[in-house]
Amino acid sequence: MALLLTLTSLMTSGAQASPQGQATSTSTAQPTPTFDVKRLDPPIISSDNSDQLKKGAAKYWGVCMACHGDVGQGLTEEWKDAFGEEDRNCWQSGCHGPDHPTPGFRIPEDKPIPGLAGPGKLARFKNSQELHDYILASMPWWDPGRLTDEEAWQVTAYLLRLHKVMPENFELTETNASAITTTYAVPQPSDDRLALLTLLGVLTLAAIGLVAQDIRKTKTPLVERPNFFHHLHPPSIPMVQSRLRYTLGAGGMALFLCLILLVTGMLEMFYYIPVPEHAAVSIERINSLVPFGAVIRNLHFWAAQALMIVVSIHLLRVVLTGAYARHRRLNYLIGLGMFVLVLLLDFTGYVLRRHEDIRWALVVGTNLLKTIPWIGDWMYQLVVGGPEPGLSSLERFYTWHIFVLTLAMIILGAWHIFRVRRDGGIAVPPPNQRTDTARISRFDLVRREVKVMLISGVILLFIAMLFPAPIERPITQTAVDIHNARAPWFFLWVQQLLKIGDAFAYGVAVPMLLLIGLGILPYTLPQAAAHEFGRWFPRGNRIAQVVIILIALIITVLTILAILPTTQL
Amino acid sequence: MNNVSRRDFLKLTTNSLLALTGILGIGGLIRFLSYKADPTPQTEFDIGPATHYPWKSRTVLAYIPAVIIHNKDGSFHAISLTCTHLGCTIEERNFGFECPCHSSRYDPDGTVLKGPAATSLKKLRITKTEDGNLHVFTV
Repeated sequence: MALLLTLTSLMTSGAQASPQGQATSTSTAQPTPTFDVKRLDPPIISSDNSDQLKKGAAKYWGVCMACHGDVGQGLTEEWKDAFGEEDRNCWQSGCHGPDHPTPGFRIPEDKPIPGLAGPGKLARFKNSQELHDYILASMPWWDPGRLTDEEAWQVTAYLLRLHKVMPENFELTETNASAITTTYAVPQPSDDRLALLTLLGVLTLAAIGLVAQDIRKTKTPLVERPNFFHHLHPPSIPMVQSRLRYTLGAGGMALFLCLILLVTGMLEMFYYIPVPEHAAVSIERINSLVPFGAVIRNLHFWAAQALMIVVSIHLLRVVLTGAYARHRRLNYLIGLGMFVLVLLLDFTGYVLRRHEDIRWALVVGTNLLKTIPWIGDWMYQLVVGGPEPGLSSLERFYTWHIFVLTLAMIILGAWHIFRVRRDGGIAVPPPNQRTDTARISRFDLVRREVKVMLISGVILLFIAMLFPAPIERPITQTAVDIHNARAPWFFLWVQQLLKIGDAFAYGVAVPMLLLIGLGILPYTLPQAAAHEFGRWFPRGNRIAQVVIILIALIITVLTILAILPTTQL
Repeated sequence: MNNVSRRDFLKLTTNSLLALTGILGIGGLIRFLSYKADPTPQTEFDIGPATHYPWKSRTVLAYIPAVIIHNKDGSFHAISLTCTHLGCTIEERNFGFECPCHSSRYDPDGTVLKGPAATSLKKLRITKTEDGNLHVFTV
């Protein structure tokens, strides 16, 4: 009783539980002679463990141990020996009985104090997130809610260690705790940093090597047999078609990013579970437990963001150079279709995260469909697969993202590239009007492509290692106040538009009109003449240039307005 | 019709049949995708004994989401907290409610203070059962 009371008064008076202070208080109890008093010593946590675990151990030892036991056994007969003969049944009278004095508290007689560690224990909690939430809300028994979020994580970490499911050297956070189960030990996450640095180093060296080779290369023509990749290119193309300052390499870069997305996406599929209660948890698993999982997810995320930017640049380039003119109009439309596909792929991928921050984007995005007259409800059903975003919608978004949209992207992409070649390659003036007659061979082209891919691969890997993709707590049934919901960044301009008024007008009609405007641009406005190709800002399609710059400007301004902090009341 | 050759006639027929197959196929696809696999969402909520909602109190129930108002005259009424613009759940502010998505504002009674929302918050039907529990209906 003395032990419990001392600890209680210590904690309620707000004193910080320092191991020394506690040690003196425990010595006032007189354990049964057979009890090994060493068990009352503070637990030893090796120094290479996280601060979180060490603090959790100190907290547990100072507050929880008295009732829940030194190894989490609960208030067993054996553990009661720690209190000595007279204090064994402390809840029947005295500090923890019905008539306890003020600093004491009642221990319920009908509810045995549960064990926390060992076989079958903690089974009511699916994972450590739930355990943390419970501790935060309900512990300590006599004063629930006094723990801060951080302290609750510390105690959770130590409990999991007592329970032998806590990975070594692991810091529990709300973005990985769902992946740590309370019923079995997850495989120890590996430290990938060294391996990744090695990979990055090797790749960088390879890129440097390739660049260095080209610097030293003499003008002797290559006599090698073209391989498969060479054959994907024409034997040679005019040098003017391969100028980076004309094409910006945006189309090729988009293709490269698509390949990265295809491979990393495929790898994510091995672990991602498209079921509402498992989706976010499986992402936490990829992110914090699967070897190289974090970097693969980050690569997928950053490649997707980069693709959005690169295809926008590509579209701007094509209009600002007038390259879409005449027989290239069809390919312009195919490209525009792919642009829409990228938007949809980015949005569906965003929703698949199933984090707290996707809630309103999903609600708004799908409710916008409902506002479309005549076919709205049907389209909503097609996309969501039910009366509200729930079980079926995740399954549907998964299918859209991984199969339907991706397949459409592959088909349109192949068609787009085929059309580039069929239309005579990158738009340049006809042969008799060219000043530069030099040509570049397929060998040199492939070399260049490999070089660009290696360099951008290094940059992308570097970004993926440094900047983690966003991760939040799994979405819950009930919304919590967030004050300011943000659409994914590429739809921020639509969100800003929607603040003006009617949902259908600003959320559907305006974006659709913009898209239609872009689509009919080559069919309505004056085009660049053939001799003007291969240059930026040709005279022939000035109006179209102004139009697209205006559109880009409006979208940029709306996006910036959406990012600016709003006044909070 | 007489100057349509046999070959053209066959070609036209075949193409029409193919087109019909396509249309039928698309119809089937639409029906296939229209199956509602999810159960209909809950529209009636038992929110417990009326005594849990003191006189002149306002209680936000996030799981509906709705605010339950116990009026001065002892009656109850409920206002939906789903924004009438695009369906986000609105949040309480000192002037009433605000939507986190597009900043529509409502006064405490659910009347629009500021767009883009055009209509007031939905008033929800609320009834008292014989055992004294309140039931809120979202439809």
